[in-house]
Amino acid sequence: MASSSGAGPSAGSTPEPSGPPESGSAAETFASPARRGRVRLRRAAVMAVPATAIAAGLMILTAQGALGVQFAISGMPFTVTATNLDGEGFAQFGGLDQMAEGSPNEGDTGGQVLVVVSAIKKATLEKLCQSVDLGGTNLLITAGAGSQKVSATNLTTDSTELSGDAAFDNIEIGNDAGTLDKSHTRGPKGVFSQQADTVHIGNLRQTNYATTAAVFKLPGLKLRFSDQGC
Amino acid sequence: MASFRHWRAVRPFWGGLLLTLGGAEILLTEKASLKVVMHIGMQGLAGYLLPLLMVICGLLILFNPAQRLFYSILGVLASLGTWLTSNLGGFLIGLLLGVVGSCLTFGWLPDQEPRPARSWRRRVRRGHREPAAQP
Repeated sequence: MASSSGAGPSAGSTPEPSGPPESGSAAETFASPARRGRVRLRRAAVMAVPATAIAAGLMILTAQGALGVQFAISGMPFTVTATNLDGEGFAQFGGLDQMAEGSPNEGDTGGQVLVVVSAIKKATLEKLCQSVDLGGTNLLITAGAGSQKVSATNLTTDSTELSGDAAFDNIEIGNDAGTLDKSHTRGPKGVFSQQADTVHIGNLRQTNYATTAAVFKLPGLKLRFSDQGC
Repeated sequence: MASFRHWRAVRPFWGGLLLTLGGAEILLTEKASLKVVMHIGMQGLAGYLLPLLMVICGLLILFNPAQRLFYSILGVLASLGTWLTSNLGGFLIGLLLGVVGSCLTFGWLPDQEPRPARSWRRRVRRGHREPAAQP
């Protein structure tokens, strides 16, 4: 039996012989190679129980806003809405997003999307809602509906559409994007940009292509599928 | 086909496959351009390292099953970590696949009694021998 596995799909990529070494490593007394391996429930539970407990703990801590989580999404457009956004260290400039080569979302764009990059060093959002269209159904993430607000640091979003009622403090419009200094990032040289010390946006609505490496704290997190987006 | 069945029978096939798929699903949800990731630095890179580790552990479980315990422990830790670093574990789907895959791998043992003798009581009644590893 062990010799017949030489024709198996793994034969080329691994020198591992099937059968005897495994039974040896598991301290089994049965050496018959004809018998199949199987999952023993009790053994699996040894790992499943603590793993489930840790996963539940992580989710509860996240939903309480005690743990921050990171997002890095791209290629699929998704919508973000919030009733209020307050930010410190705001910068905005144009940019070009390049999709992964051969991405199914390319369409007739050649894989490039013109985006507005908004960077906010510290942001708090009220009633955050984020939805991704998965074709037929939407994955909906809501947070910050209660008394605690969602907070994010080093938030960078690449959006194609942005709407809301905005108010800025100490705004500078028309800077070169390479000289931005109020936020955590800067753009390419020779591109139009603007920056401000603080920003307030009411009824925010963004269509994004990417949110990168922002650490989000999401009190009151809810993750669900829904027919409607945000 | 018979050789594939045998190949599958001597390794934790479903465990390794689920862990690999889970890692791949998480990677799919975060296809940000590498330029941005490098700019963000270590924090952003961790979001890619953990799902990559899941894929590697899953493949190693399939192709080097002798070390499955180590890979499954590494895999379950990486899966749990992706909740924090990678889009809530690929919006929960990848995380669940990874944890289930790791647990199946951890619980897998070679050379077991065939299916019909699964129930412990029935096996005793029929007078079959108990496997040594069972409590």
